[in-house]
Amino acid sequence: MHLIPFLLYAASAIAYAAHFSRRDPRAGRAATAILTAAALAHTFLIGMQRMQAGYMPFSGTPAAISFFVWLLALAYLYTELSSDERAMGVFVTPLIAVLQLIPTIDVPAFGARPAVLASPLFALHVSSLLFAYASFALACMIGVTYVLLFKEIKAKHLGYFYARLPSLAVLDRMNMKAITVGWTFLTLGVVIGGVWALQADFRSSSDPRAQAMTMMDPKIFVALVCWLLYSFALFVRRATGWGARRSAWLSAIGFLLVLLNFVPVGYFLTKSHNFF
Amino acid sequence: MHLLLFGLSHRTAPVELREQVDFARRGVDAALDELARRPAVAESVVLSTCNRAEIYAACARPDQAAAELGRFMAEFHGVTPAALDGHFYRRDDDEAARHLFRVAAGLDSLVVGEPQILGQVKEAYAAAQERRRTGALLNRLFHASFGVGKRVRTETSLGEGAVSVSYAAVSLAKKIFGDLTGLNVLMLGAGEMAELTGVHLMAQPVKRLTVASRTFASAQALAGKLGGSAIDWRDLDAALGPSDIVITATGATAPVLTKARVGATMRTRRNRPLFLIDIAVPRDIEAAAGEIEQVFLYNIDDLQAIVAENLAKRTAELQRAEAIVREEVDAFAQWLRARGAVPTVVALRERFDAIRLAELERLEPKLAGLGPDAKARVDEITHLIIEKLLLTPTQQLKSAADPSDVVAYSDALNRLFRLAPSEAEAAGERAADADPPADGTVKP
Repeated sequence: MHLIPFLLYAASAIAYAAHFSRRDPRAGRAATAILTAAALAHTFLIGMQRMQAGYMPFSGTPAAISFFVWLLALAYLYTELSSDERAMGVFVTPLIAVLQLIPTIDVPAFGARPAVLASPLFALHVSSLLFAYASFALACMIGVTYVLLFKEIKAKHLGYFYARLPSLAVLDRMNMKAITVGWTFLTLGVVIGGVWALQADFRSSSDPRAQAMTMMDPKIFVALVCWLLYSFALFVRRATGWGARRSAWLSAIGFLLVLLNFVPVGYFLTKSHNFF
Repeated sequence: MHLLLFGLSHRTAPVELREQVDFARRGVDAALDELARRPAVAESVVLSTCNRAEIYAACARPDQAAAELGRFMAEFHGVTPAALDGHFYRRDDDEAARHLFRVAAGLDSLVVGEPQILGQVKEAYAAAQERRRTGALLNRLFHASFGVGKRVRTETSLGEGAVSVSYAAVSLAKKIFGDLTGLNVLMLGAGEMAELTGVHLMAQPVKRLTVASRTFASAQALAGKLGGSAIDWRDLDAALGPSDIVITATGATAPVLTKARVGATMRTRRNRPLFLIDIAVPRDIEAAAGEIEQVFLYNIDDLQAIVAENLAKRTAELQRAEAIVREEVDAFAQWLRARGAVPTVVALRERFDAIRLAELERLEPKLAGLGPDAKARVDEITHLIIEKLLLTPTQQLKSAADPSDVVAYSDALNRLFRLAPSEAEAAGERAADADPPADGTVKP
């Protein structure tokens, strides 16, 4: 059961690659169908876990990654259906498949959880942040394609990507939309996290995680750096007329930071967010 | 029934003659109605574009029909037959199919791979079908040609890439801005080159076109022609700011737009993209201006290089497209040959069955003693014997690779079994509207 979403995601990545390289509309439709099936299977899996655990199954890094992958797949499908543009699939689906590999190998277990996580604020905190990350992942992929196409046009060599990608203006609009949505949920997630920490009164508890709940904890620190970076991308662009290419680069780098925070920091470094 | 193509195109006739025989003047429908009155032509489709005037026909006697079509062309368009001499081409059967398939795939077009022709072929067929001028042969032929057009389109990149400078510029603009409708276009220079490019660009709807020239009067004249507005040369800097696309085609000997000037413009534009198209020789825009962030500078050489590259790519795709055409022609020819054998097969079967029934009738007294079950069995067995005897020759006849083999075999069968020509033809008429079944048997 854990294997099915991963296999379908991997199959959709292959189909998107075939669609992109051969520009075969049938492969494209197949890719969308497979990805939709994968997302549905994943929805079912998460629903099962929810019933099993009795709470939203995203505490612990592998479970959070699974949830993130699910949101990313849905966000991408929404983007594809609303823009009728499949070219980004070849960039997004491999990331989805690779990340889904983690919860497929390190299958999340759901037992009793610390009482402090029972708060609805925790669910809001995590789901906002995961949704923000999914948006940033999309922004990153769109940013990468923008840079690739920009380089071809600037170098006057109209080649592979010129024939396959939508226009720079469309990519820029999609990128800014993804960043705006991501930034909104990142802000929301961080604020809710702060409120939750204050409410739960970690400070006075003897929990070692509570002692680490400071600005200097790697997880929190990198999250704040991300927030600053995306704020910069969003507002400096509008205020000073930064070029679209720089925003595209920033969204690509920003997501690397998000990914860093998510996987290695979440697994090995943080002392405040290691709930399982 | 034979397939016949009779027509002329840009390859065989000068534009003056093509204009004279353009069906659009009197209407394709009128031509189809006129053709319907000529019994030598059983089915017909009229394909008329600015580059070709062709009639695809199904007929029993190709030579007679070709002569008829020649007369028709001259009479319908009111030209002397002598004027058409040497400009018309005629293709028969497989070759007619090959011609139509190449046309539908854009291989016979002036600009190879242009996509409009497939739509025109579809329209021509629809018009003929509406007038009930198509039958089994042309229906099959045209549906096959749509398939060829689609295959070439999806399996090769024959129709891709701009093959003219102005189209290359427009496609670049679309790749940068997506949609051109909200854009401001500024044109510097009001000469012939500027006009030529302007006309092509204005075929695309843009928000506003502004023309600036050192002589205000010529700017006004061009702006009037293109549906834009003219500005004074001294207001150039103010006009640059809101412009998204700037086309330069002045006769200036020194660059009009220096890097510094473009840089200053970009600051007022807050780095919104700016597409500079320099079609002037010597150049109007400093090459270094292209280094500025979000400035896309293409000069005439850059655009021509893109065009040359696209043309080369199309040439490379030609072979793949021709291979698809060959494949489809083979499939069609196979069907056509199988069809040619149909009258003989049907006549042969009818002859055998007639013999069988006659023999059963003759033996009626001797069979009278049999019960109804046994009688039915006799009927069934005799029928099966005929089926089995005919199966192999029918298959052999239909799968003969060479069309002359089909004719020779049919001829031999006609003689050996003394199938009267009228008998074979009558059987052919009955089978004409039904495609031969794929399993090689023909139900009478």
